[in-house]
Amino acid sequence: MIATVVGSYPKVPNKPRPARLRLAINKFDRGDMTLEELDRVADEVTIEVLQEQVEAGLDFVTDGQIRWEDEQTYLARNLEGVSINGLIRWFDTNMYYRQPVIEEPLAWTKPSTVRDYTFATEHSSKPVKAVLTGPYTMARLSVDRHYNSVEALAGAFAEALNREAKALQDAGATFIQFNEPAILQAKDDYTTFVASCARVVDGLSAETGLYLYFGDVEGIYPQVLDLPFDLIGLDFVMGAKNEGLLHRTPFTKKLGLGIIDARNTRLEQPAAIAERIKTLGAGIDPDNIHVSPSAGLEFLPREVAQEKLRLLAEGVRQAEGVLV
Amino acid sequence: MTTGLLTTTVGSFPKPPYLQKARNAFASGKLSREELSELEQQATREVIALQEEIGLDILVDGEMARGDMVVFFAEHFAGMEVGGLVRSYGNRYYHKPVVKGPVRWQEPITVDLWRYAQSLTDKPVKGMLTGPYTMVEWSFLEGYDDFRQAVLEMARAVNYEALELDRAGAPFIQIDEPALSTRMEDIDLAIEAMAIATEGLTAKTATHICYGDFVSAYPRFLDMPVKQFDLEMANSSHDLVELLKTEGFPEDKEIAWGVVDVHSHEIESVDDVVAEIKRGLEVLPPERLYIDPDCGLKTRTWDESADKLRVIMEGVRKVRAELGIE
Ligand SMILES: [Zn+2]
Repeated sequence: MIATVVGSYPKVPNKPRPARLRLAINKFDRGDMTLEELDRVADEVTIEVLQEQVEAGLDFVTDGQIRWEDEQTYLARNLEGVSINGLIRWFDTNMYYRQPVIEEPLAWTKPSTVRDYTFATEHSSKPVKAVLTGPYTMARLSVDRHYNSVEALAGAFAEALNREAKALQDAGATFIQFNEPAILQAKDDYTTFVASCARVVDGLSAETGLYLYFGDVEGIYPQVLDLPFDLIGLDFVMGAKNEGLLHRTPFTKKLGLGIIDARNTRLEQPAAIAERIKTLGAGIDPDNIHVSPSAGLEFLPREVAQEKLRLLAEGVRQAEGVLV
Repeated sequence: MTTGLLTTTVGSFPKPPYLQKARNAFASGKLSREELSELEQQATREVIALQEEIGLDILVDGEMARGDMVVFFAEHFAGMEVGGLVRSYGNRYYHKPVVKGPVRWQEPITVDLWRYAQSLTDKPVKGMLTGPYTMVEWSFLEGYDDFRQAVLEMARAVNYEALELDRAGAPFIQIDEPALSTRMEDIDLAIEAMAIATEGLTAKTATHICYGDFVSAYPRFLDMPVKQFDLEMANSSHDLVELLKTEGFPEDKEIAWGVVDVHSHEIESVDDVVAEIKRGLEVLPPERLYIDPDCGLKTRTWDESADKLRVIMEGVRKVRAELGIE
C-alpha cells in the first residue's frame, strides 16, 4: 500500500518559520532579486517540501508544485497561442487562478515541468511522481477564442500535454498523473473527456494515473474503468457517493483513495483512516492501493498539511498490518 | 428628491495607499490601534466625500477597517480563530479563519464606523455584513460535526450584529452571501440562515450574491428573506433577464442592478450603462430598480472606482431625464 499526495503542497510555512518563497517573489517583483536567486529559493523550498513529505512517512511524493502560480497558468504559459488573463475562482474553492485565453492554435514548444521533476528526483529519498493538470480541465478553465469547441480545445491540450508527458518520460518519469477535476462538474461531456484521455496518454509507456476530485463519479462509473490509465484516484470526502458506487461495481484498476479532507483543517485519526482503507479497499490487492488526501494540499496551512500526511501515513501502516 | 433609479454601491471601496501602509505597519506592531483607527476614519471621510461628490443616493462606509470580509468578523466572534496562511492566488496569502467551537456574537463590530460614516452625511449609509453561509463556507470547520448547524448558529451571531446596526439607526442593512454563488445547491440552507440573520430588523434588508447561477436556482432564490437583491447584471446571461421578464419578479422586492464590471480596468461608456439600465427597466419599474456596480470596488484603484461611478451616475441621469424622474 502506498501513502501519497495528489499534487500541490503549501508553499510557505507559518511563523516562526520564515515565508521564504513569498518574500523572495516580493523581492523579485520589486526588482531587488534576480531570477537566478529566486530560482535558488524555489529549489530550496522544493527540497524542504520533499523532506516534509518523507518525514511524514509518505512512500510516493511530488515536488509540491512549488513553482506553480496555479494549476492552469504554469502549464499554459509556455504554450504558443495562449495569453494569460484575469483572476477567476478555482471551482468552489477560495483560491483563484489566472484564466488562459486561447487566441491561436495551441503548440507545445518546450517542457514546463521536466526540470522540476528531475530536480525533485535528485533530491528525494522516495520515488517522485510527475503530476500535470489534465487536458479536459485545462480546456474547461480556459477562454476559447480560437477553436470555438470544447472538444477541439481539449484535443489540442491533450496533444500538447502528451508532448509534455513524453518529455517527462524521456527524463525518467515512471509514473505520470493527470488531474481532471473539471469532468466531475460536466459529466454530460464525457465523450469529449474520453477522447482527450486517449490522446493524452497515447504512446506513453510510463505508468499513468488519473485523479478525479471535488465530487463523485456517479453517472460515469463504471465507465471510467475503461479509461486508458493504470490508476484512478477518487475523492471520498466531497464525493460521498463514490463509496456506494464501488460497492456495486468492483474497481478493476489501481485505486487512489482520497480519504483525508484536503480542504479542512480538522484532523483525521490513524485508526479511523485505517478503518476507511479497510472498508473502501476491500477486495483490492493492497499493493494496488494509493492512499492520499482528497485533492492537492494548497488549501491548507503548511503545518496542518504535514500533520495530516503524518496521520495518513500512520493510518496506512495500520491498515497494512491488518490487510497483510 | 428622486423617485426612481436610486444609485448605490455594493460595499467595499479601494483603500487609499496610506491606509494600506498603515494596516501593514499595524500588523507588524509598528503602529498603535488608535493611530490605525484615525487613518481608517480619514479614509472613511474620503469615501463619503467621493460618493457625495459623484451624487450617489445610498452610501457606504467603504469598509476601510476590513481586509478579508470573513476574517474581519472571525476576529470578533467567539468560537472563531484566525488560522494559518493559505494562498489566495499568485503570491497573495491570507489567514483563513477556523470555526473552532460554538460561534457567538460578543460585542458590536461594525457599528462605530457605520455611525461615524453616517454622521458625515445626510444621505443614508448602508450597514454591511458578511452572511452566515459565507462565514462558514469560507472558513475551516473544526468545531462542528454538522455544517448546517454551524451555519445556523453563525446566523444568530450575524443577527445580533445586524440588530446593533438596526438600533443604531442604519436604514439599510445588507448581508452578503458571495459563497453561495458556487454552491447554489445550498440555497435552502442559505435562505434558512438569512431568515435568522434578518430576524427582528426594521431596516430595509438586502443581499449581494456575485455571479451565481440564478437561472437554475429560479424561482427558489427569490425566497431569500430580504427586500433587495443586489445582482451582477452587466455580465449576466441573457437568460436571467429573459426569465425575470417572462416569469416575473416578486412585486414586494427590489433589484440593485449591477451595470458596470468591477473586475475590468476599462471604464464602460455612458451608452453601455444606459442600455443596461433599460434592460433593468424591462423587468422592474424605476422605483424598485436600483443601479450600482456589479460587485465591491476594492480590487479597482481609487480613480477607476470614481470613474466607474461617474459613468453610472451620468447614465442614470440620462435615463431619469428621459423618464421625467426628478
Ligand atoms: Zn460580488
